[in-house]
Amino acid sequence: MESLNNKEQQEFQKIVEQKQMKDFMRLYSNLVEKCFSDCVEDFTSSKLNNRELTCISKCAEKFLKHSERVGKRFQEQNALMNQNLR
Amino acid sequence: MSFLGFGGNSQPQLSSQQKIQAAEAELDLVTDMFNKLVDNCHKKCIELKYAEGGLNNKESSCIDNCVVKYFETNVKVGENMQKFGQNFQPGRM
Repeated sequence: MESLNNKEQQEFQKIVEQKQMKDFMRLYSNLVEKCFSDCVEDFTSSKLNNRELTCISKCAEKFLKHSERVGKRFQEQNALMNQNLR
Repeated sequence: MSFLGFGGNSQPQLSSQQKIQAAEAELDLVTDMFNKLVDNCHKKCIELKYAEGGLNNKESSCIDNCVVKYFETNVKVGENMQKFGQNFQPGRM
C-alpha cells in the first residue's frame, strides 16, 4: 500500500469518521435486535418485566465485552498475519 | 494487509484518488471481516442464558479459539482459491 500524504490523509480521515458513524448505528441496531430476540418473550404486558430487563442488561454487557475481546484477538492475529507476509 | 496476493507492489504511480480508494477498500475489508468475526463467534460461543453480564471462562476461551480459527480458515480458503485460480479464468466458464 502506498502511503498517503497529508492532504490525502485528511480526506481519508473524513471517510473513516463517516464509516465509524455508520458502523456504530449498525452495531446499535444489531444489538437491539439480538437482545430483543433473546430476552423479550412475554407480550401479556406492554412493559418490560424484571426478568426481561435483567436479561437485556446482561445481553448488552456481554455483547460489548465479547466484541472487545474479539477486537483484541483480531489485532493480535492481524499483526501475526502481516508479519508472516513480510 | 494484502489478501490473495492482491495489492502487490507492482503498481506504477497512483493518483491521489486511487490511493484513497485503495485505502478505503482495505478499511472496508478489515471492518467487514471484524464484523463477521463478532457475529460468528457470538453465535458459536455466547450462551443464550445470559446468566451473567461478563464472559465466563468457557465463553472466553471459545472466543479466543474462534478468532484464531477464523483467521486460519481465511488463509486456507485463500490457498484453495489460489490453487483453483490457476486452472480458472474468470469470465470463461
